[in-house]
Amino acid sequence: MTAELFTAMRQSIVDGEAGAAGDLARQALATGVSPLDAIERGYVPGLTAVGEAFSAGDMFLPDMMLAARAMKAAVEILEPALKASGGQRQIAGRVVIGTIKGDIHEIGKNMVAMMLASAGFEIHDLGVDVPAERFAEKAAEVDADIVGVSALLTTTMAGQRNVVQAIVAAGLRSRVKIIVGGAPATQGWADEIGADGYSEDGVASVALARQLLGISA
Amino acid sequence: MTSERPPLEPLRSSRRVRFLSDQQLDDLRAATLRILEEVGVKFPSDRALRIFEEHGASVDRETQIVRLAPDLVMRAMATVPRYFTMAARDPSLDLVLQDGVTWFTNDGCGVETIDFETGLARPSTKADVAAMARVADYLPSSGFIWPMVSAQDKGRTSPLHEMDACWGSTMKHVQSETIMGAAHCRYALEMATVLAGSREELRRRPNFSLVVCTIAPLLQDQPGIEGALELAAAGVPVGFLSMPTLGTTAPATMAGALALGDAEIISATVLLQLAHPGTPVFHSIMQAWADPRTGTYVGYPLDQRARYAPVEMAHHWGMPSLGACYGTDAQRPGTWQAAADVALDPFWAGLVGPEIVTGMGLVKTYTRLHAESIILDNDLYQRARYALLDLDVSPETLALDVIANVGPAGHFLAEQHTRKYMRHAMVRGLTHELTPPSGYRDPIEVARERVRTILETHHVEPIEPAKQAELTRILAAADRELG
Repeated sequence: MTAELFTAMRQSIVDGEAGAAGDLARQALATGVSPLDAIERGYVPGLTAVGEAFSAGDMFLPDMMLAARAMKAAVEILEPALKASGGQRQIAGRVVIGTIKGDIHEIGKNMVAMMLASAGFEIHDLGVDVPAERFAEKAAEVDADIVGVSALLTTTMAGQRNVVQAIVAAGLRSRVKIIVGGAPATQGWADEIGADGYSEDGVASVALARQLLGISA
Repeated sequence: MTSERPPLEPLRSSRRVRFLSDQQLDDLRAATLRILEEVGVKFPSDRALRIFEEHGASVDRETQIVRLAPDLVMRAMATVPRYFTMAARDPSLDLVLQDGVTWFTNDGCGVETIDFETGLARPSTKADVAAMARVADYLPSSGFIWPMVSAQDKGRTSPLHEMDACWGSTMKHVQSETIMGAAHCRYALEMATVLAGSREELRRRPNFSLVVCTIAPLLQDQPGIEGALELAAAGVPVGFLSMPTLGTTAPATMAGALALGDAEIISATVLLQLAHPGTPVFHSIMQAWADPRTGTYVGYPLDQRARYAPVEMAHHWGMPSLGACYGTDAQRPGTWQAAADVALDPFWAGLVGPEIVTGMGLVKTYTRLHAESIILDNDLYQRARYALLDLDVSPETLALDVIANVGPAGHFLAEQHTRKYMRHAMVRGLTHELTPPSGYRDPIEVARERVRTILETHHVEPIEPAKQAELTRILAAADRELG
């Protein structure tokens, strides 16, 4: 019975069906299945399968996005019970991410967040038009390992430097890695403002984040 | 010392290719009208929302989403001028937009310069903007000028510095793609008024214009929209540019992406017409693709069918169109990809007939400047321009008497007719620069040499000292207030 439930959970992630994933999570709670087991033996294998299919070129970004959304729907339902039972999911690291103040473009930032979430990072998405200080506050609040700053415009890109400065001013620089991205950003720009990394796209951001935290893939 | 500028050479063609049928154009317009009426567009600007409210649009103050009934859209769109003039410092370089003539500009908004002398990558600067404006000023293919890269050494007022650099380096019309916000636009208007002589003269002959990017899907940028309203009040032309990306910020199907982009542009155009009827506005959609494996923004995949369909959509609305050429995804110029991506662009553009087109000279999906790229893209432009010219078939060019004179098995080298025409029959591009005693030089080397020659020898008439002093004063004030 539980094995069947886990199989269905895995499939709901592969199919990217948030509704089904949520229903199965509720079913697990109702039938006394441990929330940690549901996540790690039910849903995570689905995410792993999608990740492997993506790497093999059999699945694409929308498959990843829908799988991540289904995963989120399930975890949201299971999390309160998980916390109550004192359990904790394993995470690769905590990431605070957002688009810099003055800029309301978010698709690039969302793709990076989604790819990092799929790779096991815990994401704290601040949204768009985010003041530099807010990145630092949130990083301190959640004990972030990485802060990611997005900018699409040449006129807002300069704000990425302010985030680096805000992290320094908050005394967090030694324990937080800062990564930047967006169309006008380059490795040279990341170097110039004292950020720790830059990647061209969401897929490359996973390798970058792992490398910065010393995690082998 | 100023130097001579070769006369402008726009694309001229009476030939027309259509990618969309009348029915398809109507279907696309109907889709736009439905999106505007049922889904709406978000305008995060109190000023814009008030204008819409005053004219009876449906405005949700909480979500800032504006929904427009079709009759309101059609009424507002009726006041958009089909053509207008983009004026220049030198009136002989004014562009009078018209059917059958297409004016190109260079690319813009690049962020990385490959230094012409050292070959090393560095952030772009105001000096780069000025140098490239001077190169484009010289090129007959450039009818008007975009600031080619971002003046990153000038901080928050970089868009105004980019205008300053261009105005000082070209006699042609300057079109910004970066001035955002009412305050920045007011400073730009002040500078333009100094150059024009008065507000009335600026309205009559606007010496600059602005491209404002919408944000897909269906979102307007507050500074962009409020800046556009400032310029519209002064009669300065504004264009709205949508860049829907198939699969991420737009449906993964081309028709849906085009309808979405069109709705963004039309919603902003309606706003400007409601606020200032008759404001010159141009229409532009530059669709792109997201790589489904990486999310990378791709401008030139293999299948780009109907690349210039947005031009037809603009004309269907009765608006002039800013077409999108060039900006290869290749990392550097001179490669097979750099040419393969863009080689057909100016030719197709000439056949579809946008009034204005961007943009020559950047690589890496319009982010990186190699100065020689503009010369290479100019060569492709000239190939298209010649390809579209009419063939002269007349007694003189049929040369039947010459053929009869030579007869079978002879040759034409010793004919006076040949002597007259042969020297111009083969037009030399970059690929046919002779190197003694015979053979041709490397075209990339030739392109670099041309950049160097233009930079060393081509200088435009400086702005009068009193006006220049005034521009400098305004720029300093902008730096103090906004910098």
